[in-house]
Amino acid sequence: MNLAQILFDSFVLGSIYLLAATGLSLTYGLSKFPNFAQAEFITFGAYMAYAFSNQLGVHLFLAFFSAFLSSGALAALSYGLVFAPLSRRGSSTVQLMVASIGLGLIIRHVSMQVWGGGILSFRIFFPIYRSPWPPISTSLVWLSVVVDAAVTALALHLFLTRTRLGRAMRATSDNIDLAKSSGINVGKVALQGWFLAGALAGLSGAFLAAGTTLVPLLGWKLLLPAFAVTILGGAGSFYGALAAAYIVGAAENFGVAGLTALRLSADYRTAISFIILILLLLFRPEGLFKASRRGD
Amino acid sequence: MVSRKAVSTSMALIAIIIVAAIAGGAGYYVGNSLGYSTGYQAGSSGGFQDGNRTGFQLGNQTGYLQGYQAGLSKGAPILPDVIKIGCLMDLSGGLGPMGVKIQLGAKLAVDEVNARGGIRGRPIQLIVEDTETKPAKALEAARKLVEVDGVQVIIGPLISGAARLVGPYVTEKRVLLITPSVSGPFLSYEFANGYVMRVCPSDELQAAAMSDLVLNGTHERIAFLIMNNPYGLGIEGEVKKRVGNGTITINYDETKLDYRAELESIKAANPDVVVHVGYYEDGKVVFRQALEAGLENVRWITAEGCYGTPMLEDPMCAEFMSLAVTGTTPKPITGIIYDDFKARHREAFGMDPEVYGDTSYDAAMLAILGIAYCGEYNGTKIRDAVLEISKNYIGPSGHKMFKPNGVDIMTASYIIWDIEEVSPGQYRITHVAEWSPPSPG
Repeated sequence: MNLAQILFDSFVLGSIYLLAATGLSLTYGLSKFPNFAQAEFITFGAYMAYAFSNQLGVHLFLAFFSAFLSSGALAALSYGLVFAPLSRRGSSTVQLMVASIGLGLIIRHVSMQVWGGGILSFRIFFPIYRSPWPPISTSLVWLSVVVDAAVTALALHLFLTRTRLGRAMRATSDNIDLAKSSGINVGKVALQGWFLAGALAGLSGAFLAAGTTLVPLLGWKLLLPAFAVTILGGAGSFYGALAAAYIVGAAENFGVAGLTALRLSADYRTAISFIILILLLLFRPEGLFKASRRGD
Repeated sequence: MVSRKAVSTSMALIAIIIVAAIAGGAGYYVGNSLGYSTGYQAGSSGGFQDGNRTGFQLGNQTGYLQGYQAGLSKGAPILPDVIKIGCLMDLSGGLGPMGVKIQLGAKLAVDEVNARGGIRGRPIQLIVEDTETKPAKALEAARKLVEVDGVQVIIGPLISGAARLVGPYVTEKRVLLITPSVSGPFLSYEFANGYVMRVCPSDELQAAAMSDLVLNGTHERIAFLIMNNPYGLGIEGEVKKRVGNGTITINYDETKLDYRAELESIKAANPDVVVHVGYYEDGKVVFRQALEAGLENVRWITAEGCYGTPMLEDPMCAEFMSLAVTGTTPKPITGIIYDDFKARHREAFGMDPEVYGDTSYDAAMLAILGIAYCGEYNGTKIRDAVLEISKNYIGPSGHKMFKPNGVDIMTASYIIWDIEEVSPGQYRITHVAEWSPPSPG
């Protein structure tokens, strides 16, 4: 067994989960409901990256940036047009959640009308790197996602601690009434938070699709591990999600190695996120890292 | 007190009368229908005494008399006025777009025979039921065909899952099922010498072709990377019978679409050949990630599921395939019989036949010929007739002689294919050899 490779793959998977789950955690903190439409923000980003890169011939870097912006815009629109009016009218968590499922289905099926329900390939040959020591073999797309997630994490940390908007976002997430009474424009802050959440999700989708293949259920398949990450990290906590993303990524990669060694089907790998999720909800529903949040 | 008691007594009486009336009505209905059908069968086989006794015992005289008269008027050979052929087709659901076209093959066979006067002057009616690409729906539709329409032979279903459910049912009812497309090896074992036949080759043959590819090399460490569904597991089982269990087996989730961890385990097992079964969607990811993982120096053997130009759309997948992958796929049907069928199909429906349109035609034609040959509308007799006439039947999809197991056709050829890089970044599929099973003796 090549430990270095499994560790590296865990980082790659963790990075994708981080990008997908940060948004989930962020919107949960700001709007207090699990947003199932996040899955479609992820897929939409992938489709936009595909459209810009393959259909319009834009450089992949710019295509990814467009994915970032358009998924962000989609998320902000979703908040502004659907979730904000609903919560103003006093919708409950469950009602908002169901609305997010419905909105997600609409986005998914509109995308399928535009790009079809089939499999799309980015048609890009990413350079492959093979390092003799540590013995790791990978391609540019996976290296980029690791770097990108690290940069994003650092940028988010600085944003949340050093900027006015970032601090306002944390304040709103912590206690919305207190934030309001301190003069924070809660609606505006939430809108910007939703934009960021969608943008990061779109980026994760673009990376995943470029490294594998693009199907309409791309984001939906990422949603379960993303929820596992969000809950493991303590819903609404960015730093918790950061650690949790890499833990779930490693659990899945080592899990497959373990399953294979036990001569079990690797098909059970999807169950790993489920098992983590169930155990957590049973024994530590507040998340692994909630207690240390005071230091945030 | 007294009056209340009287009321409750009379209520009870009324209730008893109602129950008795319902039971009586139901009994009459059951008796009538049972009597009719039993009487008809008994009468039509010519056994007056048998029919009389059974019909009488099971219900009532009316049913018996009707059945007897219906049977007598036919005499032997015994064919109904309209000869019904059932058809289980996925007209909606995942295979819907294909099923709508596949059914045309069967329809063409029926139309052609009807245009020539049917079987002994009796027209053939094709009753198509939409099975929605759902096994449970297929069983429901099969019940309807058998129990409501009374069919003795059914064309279909298209998918393995449906055949698994419908197979035991038709076996119990002694109704013949001829599938144009179910290739899972399980049919050969679970329904041998029963009531299920297929006119397409079993994946067992493809597995034999793949096994020969494995055995032709000097491979000591064999890895299996197989998608976890009946198609993948069916081929895996057949290949393992021939080449052994290998060093490592990974059954992957074909919807996960990220297999770096699985490929890492394959790599750690250090194989010199990998046997792979997948579809386009997962196959593309497996091959491009195998390139990332550095598995291109190992020989890969894959199946029909990954044969096709869509695989070449991803340049990393195409590059890997050109470096490492050899595959098998059923040999496309060509020749004058197919060309003639294609022309007739185009004239009748304005379009070329779909994949499995030819086997759909052959399944229906064999059923029709079987009924004509035995002169009776009876699942068991039709089956025996089909086994007999198929020895000399060559249809658009080829020669349909059956093996002794009564399920599989004898022969089918496979293409061995490779991917070739014709110029930098341009790839194409090349057919490098042809494979046929060893002659049965």
